[in-house]
Amino acid sequence: MTEPLLRVRDLQTYFVTEQGSGTARAVDGVSFEVQPGETLGIVGESGCGKTVTSLSILRLIPEPPGHIRPGSVIEFEGRNLLTLEPRELRAIRGNQIAMIFQEPMTSLNPVFTVGDQIAEAAIVHQGLSRRVARTRAIDMLRLVGIADPEERVDHYPHQMSGGMRQRVMIGMALVCHPKLLIADEPTTALDVTIQAQILELLDRLQAELGMAVMLITHDLGVVAGSADRVAVMYAGQVVEQAPTAALFARPLHPYTEGLLASVPRLDAPPAREHGRLHSIPGQVPAATAWPDGCRFHPRCPYAWERCRAEMPPLLDAGGGAEPGTHTVRCWLLTEPRRRTPHP
Amino acid sequence: MSVWTWLTLGGAAVLALAVVAELRRRLQTSARGRRFFRHPTAALGLFVLAFFVTIALAAPVVAPYPPYYQIDIGHPNRPPSAQFLLGTDPFSRDVWSRLVYGARVSLGIGTLAMLVAATVGTAVGAVSGYFRRWVDATLMRLVDVGLAMPRIFVLLMAVALWEHIALWALVLLIGLTGWFGTSRLVRAEVLSLREREFVAAARALGAGAGRVIFRHVLPNAAAPIIVSGALGIGNMMLLEAGLSFLGLGVPSPAPSWGNMIADGWHKMAVAWWSSTFPGLAISLVVMALNAVGDALRDALDPRREAA
Repeated sequence: MTEPLLRVRDLQTYFVTEQGSGTARAVDGVSFEVQPGETLGIVGESGCGKTVTSLSILRLIPEPPGHIRPGSVIEFEGRNLLTLEPRELRAIRGNQIAMIFQEPMTSLNPVFTVGDQIAEAAIVHQGLSRRVARTRAIDMLRLVGIADPEERVDHYPHQMSGGMRQRVMIGMALVCHPKLLIADEPTTALDVTIQAQILELLDRLQAELGMAVMLITHDLGVVAGSADRVAVMYAGQVVEQAPTAALFARPLHPYTEGLLASVPRLDAPPAREHGRLHSIPGQVPAATAWPDGCRFHPRCPYAWERCRAEMPPLLDAGGGAEPGTHTVRCWLLTEPRRRTPHP
Repeated sequence: MSVWTWLTLGGAAVLALAVVAELRRRLQTSARGRRFFRHPTAALGLFVLAFFVTIALAAPVVAPYPPYYQIDIGHPNRPPSAQFLLGTDPFSRDVWSRLVYGARVSLGIGTLAMLVAATVGTAVGAVSGYFRRWVDATLMRLVDVGLAMPRIFVLLMAVALWEHIALWALVLLIGLTGWFGTSRLVRAEVLSLREREFVAAARALGAGAGRVIFRHVLPNAAAPIIVSGALGIGNMMLLEAGLSFLGLGVPSPAPSWGNMIADGWHKMAVAWWSSTFPGLAISLVVMALNAVGDALRDALDPRREAA
């Protein structure tokens, strides 16, 4: 295996809550790697720590109330981003690692033309003149598939539709040809047809530019279509990590299993629960008070004493794949016989 | 002499009209310009400002007499006539000439003091709102103190320390006691803007604090700053007028609209003109500034639909 582009090890990002009532352990011991050129999907429901993880990588967590705990490691090409000076960090942001945000409506500055905004990263990082940067902005608009780029470059964000703005955001992020693109729910705010276009665009650009993508989403369909590998997050932790095909074929964590069962399928109508779509019982616990033991145990149909007492480590699922490629944070792996449909 | 007076007056008015018309023609091509002139009193306000700026700049040409020249000491308080457009004051000086020269002082002090106030206020507000924490706490307590002090008394006290205060010192004094409100306004804007996603996006692009503040945050706060600045000039002018009226601002015999009112007011009953016309000038200019400020706000907000 080659040297990973990004290695996150035991990332812990905590927030001290307003009233001093406790510490929200939003991200609590997350580890994963991103290889050059691959797409890693990060899946989980709202509040599981996906966005905090991605913001932590660029150190964009508002401090206070947030902080990244000592002992966390975020290595990009072997350099620990957590110990960099602000200046060195700024040289990486937007240049080597770029990010696109969920809301294309609000992620663009309303008072500048889209051309200015695309050009900005090139001016900041490559010291281009305004004229050259403008040409570059036009090229980027063309690259992300916007018609009439020469005219559109002078338009303001409010003159564009949501899908076009997201294309502009992608153009902004890619102007310096980053090695890693973090896409935080890039399609959530868009309607379905535009979603498909944007994902196709990302796939195409990834292939053309050879960058790695961290695709953060709550939508399993998005992951299935685009990601090489998937990390499933729950309650601030990675609970299962596997190549996409393996994950969908053989989900091992009860949470992943539940998530997949909750997706409406055309080919296999759900038989159980009288034809109703499956849902995982209960709520995501509050980040200030994760349950003891396995964090999923209060909602888990298989949970037994050990799950309540002891937090499971990431265990290797084996199953023919290369060791370490499919890992699951669940005690069931040690006692597979307990995996029986619950009464 | 009187023909020349009328000629220059008319010339100033025509020039002001031409300026407004030319601006209107040029700005007509942009959506912002069209929005500016769609404001009902923008053109009128602009005309008034252009007129007063013109006569202030061309004061030696426009004014028929030197501002200190006492024409006929035996017969002061002459009513407005063809020879003395706005009459003469109790010291037998031509009110129109003094109004013209006074425009230099009053507009100049108002504008410069506002620039001082807006600069300091914007800087303090931006730093305070962007960095928050102890920076914010310290600066805002300072602003609280500034706002808690009655400004006119602070100014009176400070001004009373000087005999014949220099104009630049007056500008600084008025400006440096006038930025507290602006800083609050800017801080509030910055506090809300800094949480916007495009600011996070800019930081994710690798922009530093200075770039984020000056390129992403402040331009979005420009509209309130400009509006408060335009209104601020009026305020500063009123303050200068008040101080000068009390005899503590622009020292006599230099003409400012404030001390012109002071020179005439105890003869109001027999010679209403020497106080009334500078008073009208102040009101006109302040109203014009308000109108232009308002129209600027309409024009500069890019979220308004282009038309």
